[in-house]
Amino acid sequence: MRFSFNWLKRHLSTDLNIRQIADRLTSIGLEVENLLDPGEIFRNFKLVQIEAMEKHPDADRLNICIVMDARGQKMRIVCGAKNAKVGLKTILAMPGAIIPSSREILKKSKIRGIESDGMMCSPAELSISSDKDGIVELKNEIDLETSVGDVLGYGGGIIDLSITPNRGDCLSVKGIARDLAVAGVGDFISSEAKPCKDSFKFPLDIECERSDSCSQYAPIIAFRVIRNLKNGSSPEWIKSFLQSASMNSVSAVVDMANWWMMDSGRPLHIYDLKKIKGRLAIRFAKHRERFTDLKNVEHNLHRDMLVAADAESPLCLLGIMGGAKVACDENTTDILIESAFFDPIFVSRTGTLLNLSSDSRTMFERGIDETSCVSGIEGASKLILDNCGGEASKIFVVGREPMPKQSITLRKEKLLSICGHDVDWESSRTILKKLGLREIESSKTEATYAVPRWRSDISIEEDLIEEILRITGYDNIPEKKMEDVFIEHDKILSEKKCLTEASRLLASCGLSEVISYSFIREDYANAFQENNKLIHLINPISADLNVMRPSLIPNLLLAAKRSLNYGQSGVKIFEIGNVFYNQYVQERHITGLRTGSAHDRSWLQKKRSVDPFDAKADAFALLDYLGIKLKNVVVETVAPSYYHPSRSGTLFLRKKKLGYFGELHPKINKLFGIAENLVCFELLVASLQDCNGEKNYYVSKVFPKIVRDFAFVFGAKVAIGNIMNAIYKLDPLISKVDIFDYFNLSDTQNSIGVSVTLEAVDRTLTEDEAKKVSAKILEYIGTVGGELRAK
Amino acid sequence: MTELDKLLASCLSEIEKCDNLKKMDSIRSVIFGKNGRITQIMDRLRGLDKEGKRKLGAEINVVKNEITRQLDLKHSRLELKELNKKLGSEFVDVSAPARHRSFGRIHPLTKVSEEIANILSSFGFVCADGPDLENEYYNFTALNMPDHHPARTMHDTFYVNVPSSEKGRNLLRTHTSPIQIHAMLANTPPHRFFSIGRVYRSDSDATHTPMFTQVEGLVVEKNVGFAHLKWIITNFLKKFFAVKDLSIRLRPSFFPFTEPSAEVDVSYGIKDGEMVFGCGDKWLEICGCGVVHPNVLRHGNVDADKYQGLAFGFGVERLTSLKYGISDLREYFESDDRWRNTFGFQHVS
Repeated sequence: MRFSFNWLKRHLSTDLNIRQIADRLTSIGLEVENLLDPGEIFRNFKLVQIEAMEKHPDADRLNICIVMDARGQKMRIVCGAKNAKVGLKTILAMPGAIIPSSREILKKSKIRGIESDGMMCSPAELSISSDKDGIVELKNEIDLETSVGDVLGYGGGIIDLSITPNRGDCLSVKGIARDLAVAGVGDFISSEAKPCKDSFKFPLDIECERSDSCSQYAPIIAFRVIRNLKNGSSPEWIKSFLQSASMNSVSAVVDMANWWMMDSGRPLHIYDLKKIKGRLAIRFAKHRERFTDLKNVEHNLHRDMLVAADAESPLCLLGIMGGAKVACDENTTDILIESAFFDPIFVSRTGTLLNLSSDSRTMFERGIDETSCVSGIEGASKLILDNCGGEASKIFVVGREPMPKQSITLRKEKLLSICGHDVDWESSRTILKKLGLREIESSKTEATYAVPRWRSDISIEEDLIEEILRITGYDNIPEKKMEDVFIEHDKILSEKKCLTEASRLLASCGLSEVISYSFIREDYANAFQENNKLIHLINPISADLNVMRPSLIPNLLLAAKRSLNYGQSGVKIFEIGNVFYNQYVQERHITGLRTGSAHDRSWLQKKRSVDPFDAKADAFALLDYLGIKLKNVVVETVAPSYYHPSRSGTLFLRKKKLGYFGELHPKINKLFGIAENLVCFELLVASLQDCNGEKNYYVSKVFPKIVRDFAFVFGAKVAIGNIMNAIYKLDPLISKVDIFDYFNLSDTQNSIGVSVTLEAVDRTLTEDEAKKVSAKILEYIGTVGGELRAK
Repeated sequence: MTELDKLLASCLSEIEKCDNLKKMDSIRSVIFGKNGRITQIMDRLRGLDKEGKRKLGAEINVVKNEITRQLDLKHSRLELKELNKKLGSEFVDVSAPARHRSFGRIHPLTKVSEEIANILSSFGFVCADGPDLENEYYNFTALNMPDHHPARTMHDTFYVNVPSSEKGRNLLRTHTSPIQIHAMLANTPPHRFFSIGRVYRSDSDATHTPMFTQVEGLVVEKNVGFAHLKWIITNFLKKFFAVKDLSIRLRPSFFPFTEPSAEVDVSYGIKDGEMVFGCGDKWLEICGCGVVHPNVLRHGNVDADKYQGLAFGFGVERLTSLKYGISDLREYFESDDRWRNTFGFQHVS
């Protein structure tokens, strides 16, 4: 909502300046987004007239102009503009002026040896148009005393407000003035439109659909015809006000309807009467009926949209926008003014379906004064008759005004409770009355109010309390300490604590944290979908961000690729976030990626690429940290298809899947254009949550351990992890199983060195006990096709 | 000079002359070995009477002890000498670089989320969580934004191709507020929750990313009002920015889920070109808050006549940027190494 200070002053008599007004607006909830104070913007600018000109002695294209301001002061200006001529009135920037287009401060300077007292500005330099050829040419009748801001249509300054969606009443200059007056910054100048003289019967035949939904969507529509007017150009004051509101001037009639709308908050629509063929019908649109709006955009209408149509076609999409067919132009002499009340939801739905917005739509959506149909026509008629001549018909009304709203009761107790402190009851009531609420009855503890028709947002007690707080000022509410209470919650869903700890653990393993978008490119998502259905965004911001990610790996790969491309030798990163697939599934994953060399080049460490055991180590470090007994974790040598089929695995804890790890499939390297080895782990947070299981018992006395080393030979295919897991389970005395050696003896045989630690918590083990365990191990190894290796 | 004296003198001189440990061993056996010089003298004791044995024995012992002492002394000297020689040959250039051990960095948003969680926990708030994929009911309707409410159009919502249900179209949550509803429904009042999470809006420019992070707090208790909300926000900000004094300014605003609603500005000043909180006379918008609308409480199965709600919400990126001086919002999600090394946090920070 943009308007000039001068416009505001038509409705508000105040001594405050524009800055003070702006501060007050913000404090009552009408947030000032931008303030253009011409006194500030055009400090050190003034209007001048060129008195005399002569050629610059040292430059062909430059002139030396003598200019004079309103007080008769003469200045010498060096100027290169072709349109500079004696007698021209223009705008001069003096030293110290900030040039609007460049934000540079103008300094006094010599141009080719001649000192210039300032600079005459082009429209582009003043940021009023893109025209940079030549200086501003002002009309000769302009008084040099006029302020630069006024000449440029700043009207005492421009206030740009961001109006919250509840305050439909403040989508008009009048409404804003009314609110400011309540806040005590001046007096509201009330201007009720008096009925115009009507000189003839309403001439048009209007037929209105009679249905419940029609009378629900459009409870009242009022019409008037004005004949024999002259639709020339608007008076200057209207043009300048419209300019301050960033609206273009079209023609007198259209400008006045627009101005009236912005001034009073009452949307109107004006038809060129002579372009209406036959009678006017208010009806629902036909299925896929065509309508061309004022901006010449064509729409296919829906059955539940209301139109005003003549015998041929829809002329106006009611509540939103008029049609090109009945637009007024300079030849218009007879007009039909329509002023109605439309249901906000109806208007909003129509606008959303057609993706069409307009000031009228915004006003209806946010709520206008339902009772202003007739007074709105009267006010606009007067304006048009005064400026364009013509005579007005009687007003024709279809339907009737909606029933007044129910009254609202304010309880003092509720007021105090919401504020959390003491508020004065009497002054609270005064504020409500000033806001136009009519007090129906009141006592020391309660008061009941009728809400003014322009405040469609006030419907419950809390709304009244907000109004009181808003006007009293939130700053007057003291701070009050929250009581310390212990609230026991039945059920809280949160993994957050575990996740921050996981981040820190992974960082200490050398991986850096990444946070990336939850949506990715479709082809990347496809590579990780694993027969799951991907979730697509219906309205993505770009084709690269159109699918919800089924895995965190793709974004990690993109990040890794970027780092590799600028010369990083190895990348170690992780992300904790959700993945999405199959319509409703959203799982939180912890995913880490390592690529390139395992460590920076060093004279102490042999250079090597990352391998699946780097990823496995990361995953196991995290599992260990989260309290999962690693000896119970089982690795199965299967993994999703984006992993290398023989260098990856799935982690299980008692049949529950914890996640995956391994080298990625070369097709992924190809898709992402990464040559280096890629190893990954993915852990499913939900399964980590409920397995922070077994307790550790502290044993104070330590008894000696027995370590037994075995060298076994196996047929080629064994999963050593499974053998380790099985050995653990052979005897409770086994506390540790390590692999100290693992290599191929031949194509068919593997040699595996296993070190087994035996330990009891309550005694020193005997040689006998150790022998028994060894025997069990040997027996077990025999069952899985292994034997002790001959020396 | 007795024979023993001579023996002593000659042994000591041999010990004195010895210059390596090997020779020391042979000297020791020449003196104390089976046929060693001391052993030979000891042999003579056999032919003596008791008194003679006692006398000569004592004299031999003195000599023996002295030789042993000198032998040990020399031995340890030689040992030290040889050790020093060996150590000298074991030189490594310790000025050379050590093995690489690098740590990763924590994302600033994680660090700040943790800081926020710690502060709110100290106020008695408990963390609640909810899904990113929501539907119109939880994201809008339950939060007092019925169909065609103008506020719905203020949220540039991402919709997904999941078939609609009785809870409306499916979408990516545009704020963390739907978590309020889930958390209220899962528990009985009173409530003190907070939630931190990713939210999505179809908006992208220098100051907007299509995904960002919100933190939101909800109190539902019997005797809480605006004054308490002010206390929570002021004290939260004081702790977050680690300043003793800090003023906030509340401006009336509009959110469909709170009534009354306010936007909160925090005071700051500029010192040496940097923003400093807790002093100065400038204001910066930092948070939205309000008294929970009774319709929202009802959707959370709370008796709006008995309980009152307070709610507030911050943008986590904004808080992070302000506290740690990160200027471009988009860089949070661009996963750039250099950015991470500049703004990321140590794993134990």
